[in-house]
Amino acid sequence: MHLFQNKLYRILSIACLAGYIWLYFNLSNYYSKTTSQIGVCLFKRVTSIPCPSCGTTRSVLSILQGNLLEAFYWNPFGFLLLAVLIITPIWLVIDAINKKDSLLKFYGFIEKKIQQKLVAIPAIALVLINWYWNIHKGL
Amino acid sequence: MDANKVDMFIMSNAKFFESHQLHIIRDRLITIDDSKWVMISTAQFKDPSTSLIISIIGGHFGIDRFVIGDTGLGIAKLLTCGGLGIWTVIDWFMIQGATREKNMQKLQQFLY
Repeated sequence: MHLFQNKLYRILSIACLAGYIWLYFNLSNYYSKTTSQIGVCLFKRVTSIPCPSCGTTRSVLSILQGNLLEAFYWNPFGFLLLAVLIITPIWLVIDAINKKDSLLKFYGFIEKKIQQKLVAIPAIALVLINWYWNIHKGL
Repeated sequence: MDANKVDMFIMSNAKFFESHQLHIIRDRLITIDDSKWVMISTAQFKDPSTSLIISIIGGHFGIDRFVIGDTGLGIAKLLTCGGLGIWTVIDWFMIQGATREKNMQKLQQFLY
């Protein structure tokens, strides 16, 4: 269990770090008004169809500008992702100081919740609806 | 447990586990009680080759992680465009090991 905890915490910290670096690049791009858009979505590159999470970066950037409606239009996932991006590092630091595994317990709890059919089916439906909306918007 | 039974189990299930774990599993299986044999012999394990195929096709949406039971990481992968496309590629190489680890976790429930 201890081994898994270290691994999960490592993955989470790397993911958060990558997220912040990505956000920094996009913000500096946004302010310098360069038109060059770096697209990293493999699926979009290959098929030219947007994936369910395309537009999340633009959504997060819109939230940071204060345009919540525009953020929702780009991709509702942006709110969720920004919340995770803010909360996770704080939680990681608190866990590291207290030498506890509260984040791991919470992660396990969420994982169990989502694996229940009653939660999983609406969640999948939401993702599919969002995907359809993304394709419709032509992101 | 009977050494013959254990060897049969090891032979038919070797591909589901890391090779360095096999002798630990064998030692452990020999010491445990015979009553657990039915549970262990009927346990379903995930095939690493199948998860590799799933990873190549649907890894961008985190489907490979969902299939092996890492729901949380699967969602993370889905919401971040496959970890900005980088995690997708990393997982093409990592997913077989992750599958074997999950199988080991599952077997450990019976062993201890």
